Amino acid sequence: MMQAISLLNFSKPSPLFVAPFQRRHCPSIAGAAAPISHLHRNRCQSYRISVPPLSCSGTVQQQEMASDDGQDSRISRISSAIRAIPDFPKPGILFQDITTLLLDTKAFRDTIDLFVERYKDKNISVVAGIEARGFIFGPPIALAIGAKFVPMRKPHKLPGEVISEEYALEYGTDVMEMHVGAVESGERALVVDDLIATGGTLCAAIRLLERVGVQVVECACVIELPELQINLL
Amino acid sequence: MSAYKDKDPRINGIKTTIRVVPDFPKPGIMFQDITPLFLEPKAFKDSVDIFIERYQGKNISVVAGIEARGFIFGPSIALAIGAKFVPLRKPKKLPGEVISEEYILEYGRDCLEMHVGAVEPGERALVVDDLIATGGTLCAAMNLLERVGAEVVECACVIELPDLKGRERLNGKPLYVLVEAH
Repeated sequence: MMQAISLLNFSKPSPLFVAPFQRRHCPSIAGAAAPISHLHRNRCQSYRISVPPLSCSGTVQQQEMASDDGQDSRISRISSAIRAIPDFPKPGILFQDITTLLLDTKAFRDTIDLFVERYKDKNISVVAGIEARGFIFGPPIALAIGAKFVPMRKPHKLPGEVISEEYALEYGTDVMEMHVGAVESGERALVVDDLIATGGTLCAAIRLLERVGVQVVECACVIELPELQINLL
Repeated sequence: MSAYKDKDPRINGIKTTIRVVPDFPKPGIMFQDITPLFLEPKAFKDSVDIFIERYQGKNISVVAGIEARGFIFGPSIALAIGAKFVPLRKPKKLPGEVISEEYILEYGRDCLEMHVGAVEPGERALVVDDLIATGGTLCAAMNLLERVGAEVVECACVIELPDLKGRERLNGKPLYVLVEAH
């Protein structure tokens, strides 16, 4: 079973649990949520994304932090460094913008440290980062744990031989590519992106890696969107 | 300036990872593909370490990385030297208020954007990308930073294509590269 871990729920003392799919009010995607999740379940039936209960809407929820230990204070600062931009990229979407996190040197450092602490002794040899914001978080983690960094890209960006995986968007489909030969069968991998929404992009990344015999140990994101909690059992 | 010329012993391990892919993105172009460097943890770390050694202690508070391969190098450098990381992106990728700089391509134009408020006047900045060819993209990046009053200390790339004379296009701004490719 593969889990997705998001940092903003990292410090909760209760273990992560599987939540049933909730189609909360999210006007920008409500109409398409059903087909996306349906396709999602079909393609990722063997995986479970564990979803913590904390609602994250980009605002600071410091009062919900249970304790004052060092890890909680790191999470709180990371959370407050992220800003929500309304109506981007289109009306109705509240966009979680991590670029402000990158301007807070301590919070950015803490973000990477939290992931590195989690993954450094797990014999992970591959960190796959999803273009483009996964390129910001993935390489520092890879360098710190001694793993390769493998970029997962939009079509026609990677030169040379690639394998491709199509995945569903709200309307239509997109394609993700990985270099042939970047990873070897039997390697253990982490997939990194800034945010998980429907999980479609992460699922495509997982499939690409598994097609070449890699074991995806975990997906790691900074942010998880609460309205899109998904149980893919 | 280049580490290659400085004969840093780590450079050969970096240089040998770069592969040339012919006819990409279009016929006639010999594309310098840096992705195999990321598959060699020691060589990748060496490349980042060389930049860190050069820029730590220089009071640089901003590392601006050019989408998308500049995102792979820039953040690690920024984290190590205690600077902010500022992504410079293609149009409509950055949410919220941005400033834009248009620049010339071989055919047509493109545009680079930076967030308003990411950088303050007087800050000292580094611009990072994987490769400098004609220098058009780096120029646009420098212009964005200078328009908001930052001082661009240097541009840093892994690869330079000296035959395309990008260095001369940087208006006297220093350029530091690890390897040259012809």
